[in-house]
Amino acid sequence: MVDKTRPWEEWIREHDDPEHTLEKPEAMDDLVVLDVSYGNMAGLFTSSILSEFGAFVIKVEPPQGDLARKFTPYGLLCKDTGLGYLNEGRNKYHVTLNLKTEEGREIYKELAAKADVVIETFKPGEADEMGIGFRQLKDLNPGLVYCAIHTYGQFGPEAEKNRKKPDYDVVDQARCGIPAVTGEPDDPDIPEEVRAPTKQGNWMGWYAGGCWAAFGIITALLWRFKSGKGQFIDMAPPEGEAKFCDYHIQWYHQAKRLRGRVGPYDSAVFPYTFVKTSDGVCFISGFSDVNWAHLCNIMNKPEVKDMFPTIFDRLNPENQPKIHHIIEEWSARLTSKELEEVVMKHNLEPDAVGVVATAKVNWPLDALGEDHWWIRKTFTRIEDPNYGELLLVNPAANKMTETPPRLKWACRPVGADNLFVYKKFLGYGPARLEELKSKGVI
Amino acid sequence: MGSDFFQWASEVLDPKKAFLKPEALKGIRVLELCTLIFGPVVPDWLSEFGAEVIKVELPGMGDTMRYVTPYGFFWKNISPAFQEQNHNKYHVGLDVRTPEGKELFLDLARRCDVVVENLRAGTMDKWGIGYRDLLEVNPRIIYLANNGFGQWGPFAHGRPSYDAIAQSVSGLMAVSGFPGRPPLKSGVWIGDFTGGCMSAVAVLAALYYREKTGKGQYIEFSQGENLMRWLDWTWLYAHFTGKNRPQAGNRDLAICPADIVRCKDGYVAIAAFSEEEFKGLCEAMGKSELARDPRFSDPLERLKEENAAVVLEAVREWAREKTVREIDELGAQYGFASSPVLDAKAQYESEHWRARGAVWEYNDPIYGTMVEWGPAPKLSETPGRVKWGARPVGVDNEHVFIRVLGLAPSRLKELEEKGTIGKWVDRVGQKPPEDWDGESGLFYP
Repeated sequence: MVDKTRPWEEWIREHDDPEHTLEKPEAMDDLVVLDVSYGNMAGLFTSSILSEFGAFVIKVEPPQGDLARKFTPYGLLCKDTGLGYLNEGRNKYHVTLNLKTEEGREIYKELAAKADVVIETFKPGEADEMGIGFRQLKDLNPGLVYCAIHTYGQFGPEAEKNRKKPDYDVVDQARCGIPAVTGEPDDPDIPEEVRAPTKQGNWMGWYAGGCWAAFGIITALLWRFKSGKGQFIDMAPPEGEAKFCDYHIQWYHQAKRLRGRVGPYDSAVFPYTFVKTSDGVCFISGFSDVNWAHLCNIMNKPEVKDMFPTIFDRLNPENQPKIHHIIEEWSARLTSKELEEVVMKHNLEPDAVGVVATAKVNWPLDALGEDHWWIRKTFTRIEDPNYGELLLVNPAANKMTETPPRLKWACRPVGADNLFVYKKFLGYGPARLEELKSKGVI
Repeated sequence: MGSDFFQWASEVLDPKKAFLKPEALKGIRVLELCTLIFGPVVPDWLSEFGAEVIKVELPGMGDTMRYVTPYGFFWKNISPAFQEQNHNKYHVGLDVRTPEGKELFLDLARRCDVVVENLRAGTMDKWGIGYRDLLEVNPRIIYLANNGFGQWGPFAHGRPSYDAIAQSVSGLMAVSGFPGRPPLKSGVWIGDFTGGCMSAVAVLAALYYREKTGKGQYIEFSQGENLMRWLDWTWLYAHFTGKNRPQAGNRDLAICPADIVRCKDGYVAIAAFSEEEFKGLCEAMGKSELARDPRFSDPLERLKEENAAVVLEAVREWAREKTVREIDELGAQYGFASSPVLDAKAQYESEHWRARGAVWEYNDPIYGTMVEWGPAPKLSETPGRVKWGARPVGVDNEHVFIRVLGLAPSRLKELEEKGTIGKWVDRVGQKPPEDWDGESGLFYP
């Protein structure tokens, strides 16, 4: 019987607090994944997600290491590895293999014959040309789920035309449609060089591509339960990130209209913006009628409510700066903390009809200073035998009651797992590895 | 091998053949009690791969998202911003806060595999349809709860969230935008969609586990935590340097050159990191000497700020005199990454996006010709597909309550009179198009 006498918050925490993760099984620990991505964080993120759910992930790098190990701010390295790869090397077995040699390709095929999933980021058609693409591998392993990630995808007029181009995050972002509507507006008071379509600060294009690739792969694995069949998955990161583009394509179809860059404003919900406080910046919302009324009450400015009575009055681009100004007259007198507190106090009043959402705009160090995330194990510090103490972020879904995803180890140096993986999967002893090394294969 | 690869790929992935192929998630039924984006988008994306989704909305009001729309624009009485995360669903009007409504919801949950909600923590429990209640009627249930701060922890208690709250608390807003400028809000509701995508992956992983063991589970998912997970090297950088990741505009501080630069007629994204790619870019720029300079030839040396500044300036200066198209073609020729900055018009008109089914045109039974995004990953054996778009509030009441629950039409009438179930009222955003004939597009009778 389920215990329903205890308060929900208490009961669910007892069942899903990551404190107990290590006592629980892993959802996908029966899978072997080959990640042969190169210079590509989308591929690395895909295999990270699968590894967090328990998959045995073999990360295949050329003998000199994956180019992605060099993706790092200002060239900052920790031992042999940059910060981008160090973050996504998690839970993986790192081996080397030279796919430019025939022997390397043969070994790769033997590994792929034993794998459930292959993730690659070659240029479209390149793996096929090398004789190690899906068409060749499926004959060796009919249950193989094979995911190819590239900016233009594996077919369509531009895929063939751009087959020499590599896949980079900035290009994936540029193609997805978000930078076209993100950034400061064409307002003469704003310096010209910053009035531009602007990307997200992180590798949003690659992470979107990686997340969608994991979506496609697990979907294909569910199908394999029923059919025994593997399949080919074509994941173009810009198309994944385009799915995050609000209503733009629908609106264009219906009205032939496009959104411009509106900086801190929004074309469909307002107020939904950030405002100055005495010590920083807070985001605040109150766009539906009840929530707008609630916000006016919290500000103690009931007269403002009827100045902009409908959603459409508040969305009027001429009114948005006026409303913004009115909110800032109030918010600038409060600290961010005070603003959060006064809003929550009103939200939790028993007779509150509306809801106003607010939050301080955190810098990364602010977020790291908030207890909430540490109590929830959003972040973790781990001791790595090679890279020392590291601060890493846990899998986002780490509060699952039965099979929470987890972070087990951080990263491994180039080729660190050659012995283990080649012995376990192909039976190679030290002598054979030595021979392959001398031939430049590993 | 090789030469015919594109021909082969375009055949096995042809979106026009999607309906001839099976669906991976066929037989998975999802019950949705969600509003806005972060909740509804999960069942939507599962439905593209075959899941059957029953979307429960409040009669006579519906999902709040029905009234969110750019500058108050409605098309045939529906908001395009509501259409974005609602496809292939059955729309039911049901007030779960009434005693009979609650029972109907539990009856539906008995027949479902997945339940998705995005209410504030504890709300479902308060209504008697929380995870513990559902476990009693369906021990195999997979329950996804999406919200801002989670179900427990100091910020979780009653605190509401939107996409931009997640953008704020995670640090995404602060690390976006140009140096010295205010934090930059994304032009889209990115905190919702990213959280939706990753939580859908968690549901799929839970389905995978259930396939092996028969066990369902509860998934607690916070959109703020998810964006933190997507901030790549931000936290390691804070750890090693004690500093905040700085704003960098359009350049990538970890890859050089990688930037969006101004040309004669617009903007173009350029990236070239490996020695070979950089050499290609330098040749295209007519500056081969840069690729031979020891400050720039090695990618790691190039990332040092003093060297990166020189390279980026050279790229910007060169691009200023070129057109977007010229640079994009040079990328294809010399093997560096390049692309125009695409907007919805460019995507809508693109032969490439259309051929791939990334831009998907279909004929909706109620609204006629629609164009939306197609499924994101393209699967050869079990491709995703858009069947129909968002529908008026409660339009599928008969279909669901009669065909799924087996209720008699007279019982439906009774429930409707009590306000337990219901449809749209005469309000834009929830009602059918003005010229609707009252029959077209109904799945029942």
